[in-house]
Amino acid sequence: MNSCRHEWFMCNLRHGFLVVEGCWECGARLSFFSAEPVPPIDEYREGRHFWFYMGSFQSVKFDLECRACGMIAGLDDVNGLMLSDCNDPNCQVGALVNQQSSGSLVYVALCADSTHPMGRCVSSGGIEALNQYFNRNLEGLGRKVVVVPCVLCNSIDKCRGTVIVDVGLTEIE
Amino acid sequence: MRISELQEKTGLKAINEYRDREVEGVYISDMVSDIITSAKRNSILITLQTHKSLIAAANLVAAAMIVIVKGRKPSDDVVELATRTGIGLFTSDLDTWTFAKRLTQLGLE
Repeated sequence: MNSCRHEWFMCNLRHGFLVVEGCWECGARLSFFSAEPVPPIDEYREGRHFWFYMGSFQSVKFDLECRACGMIAGLDDVNGLMLSDCNDPNCQVGALVNQQSSGSLVYVALCADSTHPMGRCVSSGGIEALNQYFNRNLEGLGRKVVVVPCVLCNSIDKCRGTVIVDVGLTEIE
Repeated sequence: MRISELQEKTGLKAINEYRDREVEGVYISDMVSDIITSAKRNSILITLQTHKSLIAAANLVAAAMIVIVKGRKPSDDVVELATRTGIGLFTSDLDTWTFAKRLTQLGLE
């Protein structure tokens, strides 16, 4: 077991697009990160799904590396972060939002497949590293952030929140 | 330098109730993907952007204050979110370069 009090910094920065697709057949949503200069917009069949392009946003992916012990927390399974506005007490994320003290916010780490058909989501190690990294920034400010995996949402497709992606760039005068 | 002192010396307009604290640096960007990877704790963030994603990213890097330049105004939900986090939200009629020059004249870099 690693006893290091990790000092995380961002590494392996990759700039690209967060691409969101939907399935015509079942309404599921899928997202992936594309490092291509132009995000793919093709429709295609995959098993029982027929995916179509819903949109894309300029985004960034990164991993975390510990300065002290050299450990790398790979965050390949994180496609984005969403600040949750959920207040549904019947949703685990909404319940967490309602429990936070003033100024503390809940962020949802978004994995690739919002329907979680295999039960997989962002790894617990990745979630722990993200919490440690961002809360290190906030030490002494009297507030914190709580990062949780999107599998805790009742329905990530209907969840209220703000995904951290680049929007509004074409509106700048 | 504290936020309140900076506000007084630069004529910034505060548009929320903020937590006054020391500022330690400046970062200029209009992209949240850049802010989240490069802005530093206690920094002044100068931007043209006014959307909620900006506050969500600024909170994660613990920016002290955000200055929205060229007289642009954020919507009420953006102001409310900034207030919840304690991040100071300000507007300036100046453009990015002119405002940044003011900061360097005050010794901030």
